[in-house]
Order: sequence, then C-alpha cells, then structure tokens
Amino acid sequence: MLVLLLVAQVVYTILVEAGLKWDVVGHFLFQRLILRGIVVTLELTVLAMIIGVALGIVLAVMRISPNPVVSTVSWVYIWFFRGTPVLVQIFFWYNLNIVLPHITLGIAGTPIFWRGPGTNSLITPFLAAVLGLGLNEAAYMAEIVRAGIISVEHGQTEAAQALGMPRLLVMRRIVLPQAMRVIIPPTGNETISMLKTSSLAFVAAVPELFTRGEQISSANFDVVELIAVISAWYLFMTSILTVGQFYLERHFARGAQRELPATPIQRLRRMLFTFHAPPPEPAALPVILPRGH
Amino acid sequence: MVKAEAVHKSFGRLEVLRGIDLEVQPGEVTCMIGPSGSGKSTFLRCINHLEKIDGGRLSVDGELVGYKEVGDKLYELPDAEVCRKRSEIGMVFQHFNLFPHMTALDNVIEAPIRVKKESRAVAVERGRKLLERVGLGDKVDAYPRQLSGGQQQRVAIARALAMQPKLMLFDEPTSALDPELVGDVLDAMRDLAQEGMTMMVVTHEMGFAREVGDSLVFMDGGVIVEAGNPRDVLSNPQQERTRTFLSKVL
Repeated sequence: MLVLLLVAQVVYTILVEAGLKWDVVGHFLFQRLILRGIVVTLELTVLAMIIGVALGIVLAVMRISPNPVVSTVSWVYIWFFRGTPVLVQIFFWYNLNIVLPHITLGIAGTPIFWRGPGTNSLITPFLAAVLGLGLNEAAYMAEIVRAGIISVEHGQTEAAQALGMPRLLVMRRIVLPQAMRVIIPPTGNETISMLKTSSLAFVAAVPELFTRGEQISSANFDVVELIAVISAWYLFMTSILTVGQFYLERHFARGAQRELPATPIQRLRRMLFTFHAPPPEPAALPVILPRGH
Repeated sequence: MVKAEAVHKSFGRLEVLRGIDLEVQPGEVTCMIGPSGSGKSTFLRCINHLEKIDGGRLSVDGELVGYKEVGDKLYELPDAEVCRKRSEIGMVFQHFNLFPHMTALDNVIEAPIRVKKESRAVAVERGRKLLERVGLGDKVDAYPRQLSGGQQQRVAIARALAMQPKLMLFDEPTSALDPELVGDVLDAMRDLAQEGMTMMVVTHEMGFAREVGDSLVFMDGGVIVEAGNPRDVLSNPQQERTRTFLSKVL
C-alpha cells in the first residue's frame, strides 16, 4: 500500500507538477530529426554488435589456443579493452588523426609501406563510434563465447580430433554450434545494452538519437521535454528487444528444460481463465437443516 | 600394425605408463584388460596421440605417431600431420561422444566430407551402408538423443569406420551400456573382426575377449603383466596378479 502511494506521488509530480510541456513532447516525438537519429542509433548498434560478435569469436578461439603467443595476444586485447572506458575509446578513434595523420600499411623498421588516405577522410565520426563501440564489445563477447566453448563437453573435441579433424574445423563444426545455447542469451543482453551505450557516440558528434535530442534542446531550451522524447524511444526499442530475447531464450531452452516458461500471452490467458473459472468447491458443504420439525 | 617400445607417460608426478612393449599384427584383435587406473585406456589414447607420450616409441603402420625423428631426437609434428595420421585410426569411446546437433547420418559423413574431402554423394552412400551394417538402416535421420545407448554406440562405430581406418581402437565400448544393450554392440564388433579389421579393445567383457580376441593383454600399475592367447591367459594365468584380478571379475 505504501509503495502504491509513493508511486502515485512520483507519477503525479512528474506528470502534473513538473510542468512538462506535453505539446512539445508530442511534437518532437515523431519529428524528422529524431526519427533520423533513431535510424543512426540502430545502425550503430547493429554494426558494433556485428564487429563485437565476429571479433569476439576470433578472440575467444585465440584465447584457448595451445599456442602461447596467440593466447597472450588475445588476453592482452581483452585486458586493455575491458580495462579502459568505452567513452575514452570512442574519443580516441575520433581523435586518431592527431597522432596518426595518415593511415599507412607497412612493416615497421623497413622501407616497405603503403601510404593511405588521410585519417580524417577514412575514419569519419560514425566509423570512430562504430570502432570504439565494436572493439570494446568484442572484449566482452570474447568472454561470453569462451564460457560457451568451455560449456561443451571435452569428449566432443576428442571424438572430432580422433576423426582427424584439425583444431579450427573442430571449433567451427562441432564446438561452436553446441556452444550457441550458452552464448545467445547473454548476447541478447549485450545488444540491449549496446542500444543504450551507442548514445556515447555523442562525443564523436554522430547524429544518433541522443545527439539529436541534445541539438534540438540546445536550440529551443526544452531540455527536459527532449529527454522525455528520447527516453521514450530508448524504452520502446529496448522493450522490443527484450521481448525478442525472451522468445530467443525460450527457443534455446528447448531440450534443456522440461517445461518451457509461459509466454506473456499464455500467462494472460491463464489469468483470464482463472478469473472466469468457478470458485473451487468447498470441502464440506454446510448442511442446511429444515426448520421446524 | 602397432608397435610400442618402452612407452612412458606421466600426468604430473603420477607415472601412468611405465614402459609398455607391445606389437599388434595386421588383422589381429588385441583385447586389453586390467583394473581401473592400470593405464590401459591411457595407452589406447596414446596410440592416436590424444595423449602425448613422454618416453619410448610408438608407431602405427611403420610410422611414428605424433612425432618425427631427427637424429635421435623426437619432435612433435604440426597439427595437420597429426590429423592426417589420426584419420587412419578409428576410435570408439566409452560415452559414445556422438555430435548431438547432427543426425546419425550427418555424424557419419561429417569427417569423410570435411577431412577426406569426399563428395557428399559418395559419403552419404557409404554412410547409409555402414549404418545398415550396424543394424541402424532405419535410424539415419534420428538425432543421438532419440537413440538408445546401444544404438548410439553403433552409430559411433559406423562414424569411425566411415574414415576407412587401418586400425580401430575401442575404449571400453560397452561399459556405459545397460546390460541388455551390450550384445548388439559386441555383435557389430565381432562382424568387424571377422572382416579382418585390426582392433585394439579395452574391455571388461571376458567372453568377447575369449571368443574374438587373438591375444589378450593384462595390464596393472602401468605395465603389461601378462600377454598371450586369450584362452590360455584366462584359464591358466601365469602371474599371481593376473590370477587375483581374474578371480575377482570372472
């Protein structure tokens, strides 16, 4: 009861007393710049996750390699990219041209090199953000994939090796497909997290959702209204992803759990059904004695 | 086919194999018995280099396994070479280790297609024949979890045979099975022996060893205590340790 009162108080304060200009919120909710910002946010999320998952798998396989050089390289990568803030990493890629005005390919200490285009023309703000988010994500994905690989019984690797399959083939055909059921649920979490973290692309002036909100509010001073608009959009998108993740996890739980968790629709149906169902019969019916005998 | 000379193997400070000398002729079925921890499974796993040996020499078909000899030193071979050698040696495990995400047929044709680069049609044709031969012609599309232990083990035998190996290693192939399922697996192995396959079988099935085996090896404490004709060893063991072991299991 106390909780409900508190909630009511907070909701009242936000909706009525805060004096939010609801017409402004409504106007900007579907404004063109905001909608374009959403597209950029989704692009950032998808590209960063693709880099994160692909590089994460490579790093995880390297990490458990019997070759100490290969596994150390992976260890150092994960150590570095998990140990520094992603905001700083985006900022680094954005400012790469200061220390490295030209992208060159070559072998250090030899005259062999290829001088590429200027860093600024190659690494656009958008690419800087994708690199920062994606390379950071790869370090986290590597640990998730590694946990998945470890979860596969060692006998599987041995059986494949005994058939003469080389290490990488064993990984690709036997171990990784089985590791998926452990890898996919946390990857869903990472994607939801990435959708929100992509707002850090703001520091590279990438016109994603948060940056757009910022730009508009710095022009019209309706700061809180625009925070409300972009929050609503983030909430909407993460909600959709959460529902998607629920069904994905349910799918991968098949065979591992006897009874699958009910979907929200099933739960609703069950709830409605119990509302309409007749009350359970009492254990002993009261005996009505005929009066006056 | 298999030649072992003074093979040593340690896990940390524990010496599991303390000098194994053994020779297996082509077409011969060698059964290996002994108490658990005697090193018989470890020795089998050394033969296809699932375990590295620490001393001695081990060769299959005249070629060292997992190593090459330069001067009088042994160097471990790269993964690709080890794989080539392994593809000629089939192995069947105690817990089957079928690939659970593949059907029985896919389990059987995976290595021929990916390792031997056989065409799919050829691999599928032989895969079906092999599954039929082990009595599972109607289970080609079944997933491992839909099969009984005995059926899974027979798929595992077909999977190993699909690589057309020169030598088959069996690591306690019936130990994880319900008693009534053991017979089908032993029948499949008996057929294989009759076709002339060279086999090394770690087993507790004394009946199988007596009937199918050409030689019987009794191991204890990382050494071969006694070896010879299965009937002789089982009915008239020469060593005290063999006698004690057999009196417990027979």
